[in-house]
Parts: sequence; structure tokens; C-alpha cells
Amino acid sequence: MTADVNQFPALDKTKFEQRGIEFRLGIPVTTAVSVGNSIAVGFGDGSVRIFTSGQSSDAIKAHKGIVLCMSKDGNHILTGGDDGRFLKISLDGVVTEIGNFGTRWVDNVTANNGSLVCSSGKIVYLWSPNNKEPKLFEHNSTVGGIAFDTKGKRLAVSRYDGVTLWKKDYTKKWVSSNLIWKGSHNKVSFSPDGKYLVTSMQENAIRCWRLKDKIDFAMSGYDRKIKSFAFVGETSYLATSGALGMGVAAAICWPFDGEGPMGRQPTCLSYTGNNEVTFVEPFPSENAIFAGLSDGSVFLSEIENKNNTIIIRSFTGSEVSAIAVTDDSSSILIGDMNGNILWTSIWDK
Amino acid sequence: MENKHQVPVTVLTGFLGAGKTTLLNRILTEQHGQKYAVIVNEFGEQGIDNDLVVDADEEVFEMNNGCICCTVRGDLIRILSGLMKRADKLDAIIVETTGLADPAPVAQTFFVDQDVANKTKLDAIVTVADAVHLSSQIEDHHEAEEQIAFGDVILLNKIDLVKDEDIDVVTKRIRKINPFAKIIKTTKCGAPLKEILNLDAFSLKRILEVEPDFLDSDHDHEHDDDITSLSFESNTPLNMEKFQDWFGKLLQTKGQDILRTKGILDFKDQNDRYVFQGVHMLMDASPMGKWPEGKERSSRLVFIGRNLESMNLREGFENCKSA
Ligand SMILES: [Zn+2]
Ligand SMILES: [Zn+2]
Repeated sequence: MTADVNQFPALDKTKFEQRGIEFRLGIPVTTAVSVGNSIAVGFGDGSVRIFTSGQSSDAIKAHKGIVLCMSKDGNHILTGGDDGRFLKISLDGVVTEIGNFGTRWVDNVTANNGSLVCSSGKIVYLWSPNNKEPKLFEHNSTVGGIAFDTKGKRLAVSRYDGVTLWKKDYTKKWVSSNLIWKGSHNKVSFSPDGKYLVTSMQENAIRCWRLKDKIDFAMSGYDRKIKSFAFVGETSYLATSGALGMGVAAAICWPFDGEGPMGRQPTCLSYTGNNEVTFVEPFPSENAIFAGLSDGSVFLSEIENKNNTIIIRSFTGSEVSAIAVTDDSSSILIGDMNGNILWTSIWDK
Repeated sequence: MENKHQVPVTVLTGFLGAGKTTLLNRILTEQHGQKYAVIVNEFGEQGIDNDLVVDADEEVFEMNNGCICCTVRGDLIRILSGLMKRADKLDAIIVETTGLADPAPVAQTFFVDQDVANKTKLDAIVTVADAVHLSSQIEDHHEAEEQIAFGDVILLNKIDLVKDEDIDVVTKRIRKINPFAKIIKTTKCGAPLKEILNLDAFSLKRILEVEPDFLDSDHDHEHDDDITSLSFESNTPLNMEKFQDWFGKLLQTKGQDILRTKGILDFKDQNDRYVFQGVHMLMDASPMGKWPEGKERSSRLVFIGRNLESMNLREGFENCKSA
């Protein structure tokens, strides 16, 4: 469907679109990560491009088929692909292969205190700065997601039937414990204070564990699978996709302050329309989130002031698949499944 | 509206040694000019350039509803969702399952995950069967029997090694388990790929075309756990409420034994034909347009499963007829 990317309906463009720069690349955007004041974007043809001040670099040939996941290590990008490779890429396009797993995909990548980490199949691989060979963390089923806590001391690995929690014991040996809940767990994250662990499940729900006593509970009521979630703000809300209201597109935000979300009502950030929120991205400097919709539009909403909602990008007809904000919070990049990209400054001059 | 292009997915099953690998290698090496992705279980040989080989682990998880038959292939959800992000679109996806696999979780994956169902569609389950050993495999391994029960197409392979009368015996055995599948007799899986891929066999439309050629069901040699099939027809319109009530309860309570269901239904006071297709407790149903003008309206319902005799299916179906 690359042929029709130039036929946007003649809707009024937002001021963000008017002052921004639009790219119509026709290649699905799979992921985006900010590195300083640049934003790296991964695509469904295996390439990576670096966007800086609204300018795109040449395509960096990274993977054979699809850039499946992306993270960063200092001023480098980490990517995993369907060619089974785990790559480290510099902003000027130098590609270094960290690992190669052949026909087995690299589904997750991250970095932690100088270590490079990825998952492929049932195994998480960790390369310490001084070791050539990775340390292997094995699980009983394919890894859904990986996450370190803010201090980098604990590693959570989601999979079928729960989460494996790894940490170093007093002899500096990695030991594991299990958080059990039946079903398929996809993405995983610690709350910023390290007190909670959340996963998005195949069922339309978030599973949450309070780590001090391993009490677990569900955050449910979603219409769709939760493809995207993120913690945001000083009081720490968990913003989630997956809700589909009648006549409103909604991002659901659960409070994680005080006694946590158990038994409390979420805040519902909504905007008119019959679309699903497919992507949520925190606005780090504000207590706000960017919500991307299945029709390509994006709104910005303050969590504790719902009336303060503005449309950043209008309809494109293609699901929002990536949003990233530069580290100085000055600019935003939005990408969708048809390869439409908007780079724009967030603040009025 | 959004253009709903769905990539067809063919599921390749077959008991150990039946010749599934031969078929897979043919798909990978034959010049078909199509872009295929092949999801394999064992680290396979790399295909030629226009094929894409993906390694999977055939990982089944139970849904959190306390039911042992509601199982899903999570790895398939992950891989199919990933493949849908490709810039160059695929013509078809082929999923190989291991020799001892139950095909139900693969089929159920397409009922359970909305993204998978939106962007891909289950095209057909193709079962490769060994003409020499199938009869004894069915006796000894319920998996072999289930693979036959789930097949939309059954490649009865290695017929060069079997006498003609024995081919008839094994064909009859297949028909008794699954009277609806298309049987293709082959040596070395030599059927044209167009008879295997892109058939639309699982589409609801196809239910309307399938004319089951039933053999007289002879119950002379039947174990309690043998898979059999039953089909019912009626020219009297059905009462929708009664049918939903009966059929819903039936799938809830007996869904573990009911492997597959298909049906076209004529409901009283409804202008549309209703069609559905189910695997265990999960099903996909929808209206399929108006009944053709001037043609007689009738309902037909088909079951494949175990212990069907004990479910009072005929009585249940009769009770759904509108007064
Ligand atoms: Zn079940
Ligand atoms: Zn027998």
C-alpha cells in the first residue's frame, strides 16, 4: 500500500505539521529511539535512519528484513532484526555486529551499565564490557520482553506463565525467582521506584506484581491487546494503549503513587474519534503523554489536566507505530505503518 | 474504509516420516516466483532467495480460562505480527508443525488474536499422510488421527509403496475420520503447489461449496476414542435463539471432544445465510449475504470429533427447528 501514501485527505494541518517537516518514505516505521537531539528510526526493510534537526541521514543498511526492536547505549543505537542479528550502530552509520542467531529472531535489545543485552528465542544474552562471550539466561519459553530496574540491579524477563526475576546474590552470581500468572506475557517494565512490575498480556490486560510481597492483580477492561505502555511523570502513572471508546480514542493512565493502583480508578485521556490508541510515549519534562492512534493522528494530553489536550498530527490513514521525543524535549518524531514521518518542534517559538 | 489485505497462511502437518520435509523442501526450492515465509521448527536449510525461513519453537500456551483445549501458539502471534511489518509484502506464509503436534492451537491462534486475524488468514491445513503406515499410526497415536481430522487437504503420500486395494482401505479410513477433506494421492508429495497453497479452504465462503460425500458410517470397528464425523441437514428454518442456546452450551461443555464444526444456517425470519467454522470451543461466524433467489433454503451442520454419539446431537439439532 505504498502507492497511496501521497494522497492525504485535505484536512486542515495542525500548526505542528505546518511548521514541521514531513517525509513519505513508503516503508513501515517499526521503532524509534532518541539519542541526544537526534532520533533513530527503524524500518520494515531492515534499514535505520538518523533524523537530526528535521534532516534525515541516508538509510543505514542494518538488517536483512525488519528492524524488530531498538534501544540505545550512550550515543549508540542497539537494534535486533529478523535476520537474527544484534547490532550496535553509531550515529554516523558504522554498524558493529554484537551477536548473530541465524534464523532465530532478535526480539528485544537493551543496555545496562555498559552491558549489551538481547533476547533471541528463550535465551537472554548479556555481554559485559570486558567479556567476549555473553552470559546466558535461559527460560522455558520464548522471551516476550526484558527490562532492568532503574538501578540496573534486577533483570525482569517476561515469558509464558509469568516473569523470571534475575538478580545477583552476595557472591555476585545471578539467581532467579519466578512471578507466576498463567498465559502469555509480552512486554515487561519495572515502575520507576522499583516497587512494581507490570506486563502486557495476550489477553487484553496488564498484570501487575507488588514486589515486596508478590501480590499480583490485573488492570483490565481493555478492548484490545495492549501493544504499548510506559511510565510517565513525577507521581508515576502507567499510560497504556488498547482502549477503544465509543466516539473517543483513549489512553488509560493508572496511578502508581502512594499505595499503588490497586482498587483505584485510572485516568482516561481521550480525544474525539472512533480509533484505537496504538502507541503511548511519555513527554518526559511534563506530566503528559503523546498518544498515537490507529488512523495516524497523535494528541498530547496532560494527565492531571485532561482539558489540556492538543492535536499534534492529523489523520494519515495509517497506524502510529513509533513516537520519540528528543532528549532536550524540543522536538518530536512520529512514524506510521505506511512510512509517513513527521518531525516537528514542540514549543511555539 | 481500510483495505483489508490478508496474507494467506498454510499450516503443514503430518505424522513423523510421512514426507512433510519433502514437501517443505519442494516449496523452498521450486521456482514459483512468489515471496513466501516459511516458519519451521527445526533449524532448517536456508531457502532460495525469494523465501524467508523463520525459526520457531511451536510454543503453546493455555488461555487463562481454565480450559485445557483453549490453547494458542504465542510464538506464531509474535512471528506473524512481525512479518506484517515487512516493507515488501509476502504472497503466503507456511507454518510447519512437528510430527506429534495437535493442529488445534495453530487454528485457534487465528480466532484469538485480533491483529493476526486482521492481517493474515488461515488458508488451509494440509496434512501429509504416509499411505504405508497411516492405519497403524492412527491406532497408536491420537495425534496422527487429529492431524487427519483437521486436514482441509490430505496428501496421501508414498502410494507407490502400497497395493491398490490397500490404498482403498486407507482412503476409507481417512474418509471415516474426515469426509470433507480433499485427498490427493501422491508419491514424494508430487502434487502441484497450486493444489496446496492459496486455496481459501478455511474461508467461510468455502463452507457453502463443500458437498460432503458421505460414506455410510459403518460402526463395526470403532473404539470409544476414535474420531468420527456427523452431519445434519434440515429444510425447516431454525430458531436462532434456540440454536444459539444449544450450540453455545454444546461447545462450552463438549468443546474438548469436538475438534471441528462447520455450518450454513437458515434462520427463521432472517434474509441472510449464516455460516460458521469452529475449532473446539472457539468459532468464527457471520452472515454471508442473502440466500440465492429461487433456490431452496436449508441448514447444514457438520461435526468432527470424539464421542459424538454421546452428545445427542441429532436431538439437539431437531429441537432447534422453528415450530
Ligand atoms: Zn477450551
Ligand atoms: Zn480402531
